Amino acid sequence: MFRFQSLDEDCTLEEEDDGLIEEEDEIDQFNDDTFGAGAIDDDWQEEHKRLAGLDKKDELTAGDDESADPRSPLDNRLSLPPLGFSSSSALQSGDVEDKVSEGGLAESLARLILEADPAVAGVGAAERPAVPSPGSTSVFPSLHGLLSQSTSVQQQQQRLSSVAPPPAPMLSYQQQQHLLRRGTAPIGQMNSHSIWENSLGFGPVSVPPGLVTHMEDSPLMSIIKEVGLPKRPPRSDEGPDLSERVPPPRSSSPVIGSPPVRAVPIGTPPKQPMSHTLNHQIHHPTAVHVRAPVQHRFPAPFPERLSPNTLLNIANSPLCRSPFPPRVGPVLSQIQRAQLLNSQVAGFPRGAPGLLPGGGGFRPFFGGHPPPHAHRMVPPPPLGPPNHTPIRHNTTILHPQHRRLLSQRLLSRGGDQSRPGLDRRSRDPYSNLMTPKEKDWVTKIQMMQLQSTDPYLDDYYYQNYYEKMEKRQEGERDSSSRKEHTTKLITPQVAKVEHTYRPVQFAGSLGKLTVSSVNNPRKMIDAVVTSRTDDEEKREKQVWNKRRQILYTVEKMYSLLLEVQDFEKRFLQVPEEERQTLLEQHKANTEQLCSALREKEWDNRVSDEQCVMIMSVRKGKRLVSRLLPFLSTPLANAVVMAIARNFPTLAKKDKQDQVLFWLVEPVSSVIQSLSSSLLTDLLQELQGSEGQLSSVLHNKFGVTLLYLILSEGERMQSSDPNCQLMDDNRWTELVFSVTRELLSVPASSLAPPLFTPPNLLSLFSRYVDRQRLELLQDKLQISALSR
Amino acid sequence: MNYVPGTASLIDDIDKKHLVLLRDGRTLIGFLRSIDQFANLVFHQTVERIHVGKKFGDIPRGIFIVRGENVVLLGEIDVEKPCDAVLQQVSIEEILEEQRLQQQTKQETEKVKLQVLKDRGLSIPKADNLDEY
Repeated sequence: MFRFQSLDEDCTLEEEDDGLIEEEDEIDQFNDDTFGAGAIDDDWQEEHKRLAGLDKKDELTAGDDESADPRSPLDNRLSLPPLGFSSSSALQSGDVEDKVSEGGLAESLARLILEADPAVAGVGAAERPAVPSPGSTSVFPSLHGLLSQSTSVQQQQQRLSSVAPPPAPMLSYQQQQHLLRRGTAPIGQMNSHSIWENSLGFGPVSVPPGLVTHMEDSPLMSIIKEVGLPKRPPRSDEGPDLSERVPPPRSSSPVIGSPPVRAVPIGTPPKQPMSHTLNHQIHHPTAVHVRAPVQHRFPAPFPERLSPNTLLNIANSPLCRSPFPPRVGPVLSQIQRAQLLNSQVAGFPRGAPGLLPGGGGFRPFFGGHPPPHAHRMVPPPPLGPPNHTPIRHNTTILHPQHRRLLSQRLLSRGGDQSRPGLDRRSRDPYSNLMTPKEKDWVTKIQMMQLQSTDPYLDDYYYQNYYEKMEKRQEGERDSSSRKEHTTKLITPQVAKVEHTYRPVQFAGSLGKLTVSSVNNPRKMIDAVVTSRTDDEEKREKQVWNKRRQILYTVEKMYSLLLEVQDFEKRFLQVPEEERQTLLEQHKANTEQLCSALREKEWDNRVSDEQCVMIMSVRKGKRLVSRLLPFLSTPLANAVVMAIARNFPTLAKKDKQDQVLFWLVEPVSSVIQSLSSSLLTDLLQELQGSEGQLSSVLHNKFGVTLLYLILSEGERMQSSDPNCQLMDDNRWTELVFSVTRELLSVPASSLAPPLFTPPNLLSLFSRYVDRQRLELLQDKLQISALSR
Repeated sequence: MNYVPGTASLIDDIDKKHLVLLRDGRTLIGFLRSIDQFANLVFHQTVERIHVGKKFGDIPRGIFIVRGENVVLLGEIDVEKPCDAVLQQVSIEEILEEQRLQQQTKQETEKVKLQVLKDRGLSIPKADNLDEY
């Protein structure tokens, strides 16, 4: 009698089987959630009873309450029987017949069971004739046989006890191992309950067809149909292996705020490519007469590569099966099959030499079993040296051009591969352990890391570098018309999608859910920022604040400036429709920049103070130098004026940084566009109050600036005879004062300029006499040749 | 350059003979069979090569899996290039003996140095106490 002991009292025995099963489902689902996959549902007491009752079992007849599972002495923990074939009552021997089991191994196992357990024997005897028994072993069907025996037993018991059996405890991992050691296949038939569906990566099993009929009517049967083979995850059609690497599935508790639960986490390695049919056939191979000693030594219960047995089954399963009429010739020729297996064999670890004595070992097999009938079951795996394998790219990630380039490249590489390398690699029996699929997988992960929504933002220098390189190559390529031999990495472009997360809210509830997750970090404390009153302002604090304010202003302006500078580039990239908006945005930015320079009260005058403040910071100077070209002329002029006017302050503030020279270029371009009157004004400003000129001359930038102005004036005068420079005497006077200053200043304190414009000499020659000219020449080291 | 042009990837190094220097100072030579995104490496027919002076010895180790973070350098070995005639291969026992001697002398000098420093009141903290970075 199988009592489902974990059921509570209100679950009566008369309850409908379906309902009962569903309840079991629910309960077990929670169980799974709570304890995670792998929690055994067994009741240990029952187990113990069963085990203990093993030896003393008498014939199972009417109404025994004691559980009498057929126990194989093989597996102490194997608990096959309680299968929950609840609805099936009738035991038709025909139905139970195991169409799949053949083989001596199955026989022997079955015999063992039967002999050990008289109860089973009683039942089994009835069934024996139904089991076909050619003299061949089968890996898998042995368990089918077991199962069928046990199911029949159970059904008998069911009839007798009329109790719904508890769900089948599954073959746990250890039990499996136990089986393994006993020399059966690693793959057991798991007719376990649906809750084990996901755990241990069990997958669908094929139920022996005989059982199908009376299984179909119960929902449990349908569940069982999906039940697990150890190697097969429910979702995948692919082969036995790395599913073990998959961490146990997360419980599907409400995913509020959590990232989506992936069935197969990102870091999972790819599965081996094997067709469904192949897998099916591997695990349900037909009988094979094994000649050579086959050691059942597997690297793991879930071997990454095909185990020897599975290989054998690949090889031999079509042999005994003949779905096609005898006339159909073999699709896979013997040689092909040998090749196929050889290539797979090649991947084996050296540690199992006895298993597969090379490719030669297989040939006797094939010799002995000429396949009269065969059907194609495996798509030919990638054979041959690595260079000739077709690349199967993950096309969602790689740009189509990229893919084309790669295949081109591959072909070209394969074409001119050096002989020795090719030979060596083709002869290496361990090559291609890493399948192209796995290589793609690693590449995919690496490419994922390169995903970017805005490549110019994320990897500006790389993009520029490649642009330049391409341009250079284009130039080179025109000379020699070869096809492009460098490929560019086209990183996957991810659409910029804004995922705004809104926390889940239920209508009518008070407030939000108190669930915090990675997407929704919950604010623990509602902290309100209150600014402190400035009752006590220390001087230092004021200064600091001011400085901080300047820095802040500079930062803001800088970001605006960067946008303005990038405008052109973006304008070209952006499609037609959006250009207008971009243009407007650009204008707005520029306007903002300009206004930042202006005084607060007056809108049209550039604020000296502001400029000086900005330029007191190193970054500010850089900012101004980059900004000047973008300003409108009057603004730019005003800025330059401001610089000249406040020169001493600037020079003083720059003492530490010494970066005023950044301003030279933009200022010079501004100066060159100045009118004569403005120029004169500028010179005047530069001279400014008493003593300013001397400080100007002490500063490198100052001298340079001065020279620039003078040279521009000279240029104006010499080029355009009508220029208004001489209209009032200001210019002349100013130059005079400059020359006076220059002469009086001691040579040592005169800062060397960044560069000396060539026409200074001609300038001075206009205004000073020869003697002074010579003096000036020496002092300023203006050579006469620089005319 | 095969799979991802413009980047460095270990994919093209698969099935080639490599030399890897690990963080603990070991040198391994083997065929690189498999990699993953952390640059964990699977080496096949690995040989640990110990160098002492001009002598070296190879210890066959079989299959190695190296965790990516422990790799210092990894480089392909050109099997066609003629080997250096300067280095002399010796047996395993001999090289291990040599290594032991080398370690011993090193330890002794270190000890002497520490003693001398201690006498002068100085101390140099040992590297293993410091953070690696």
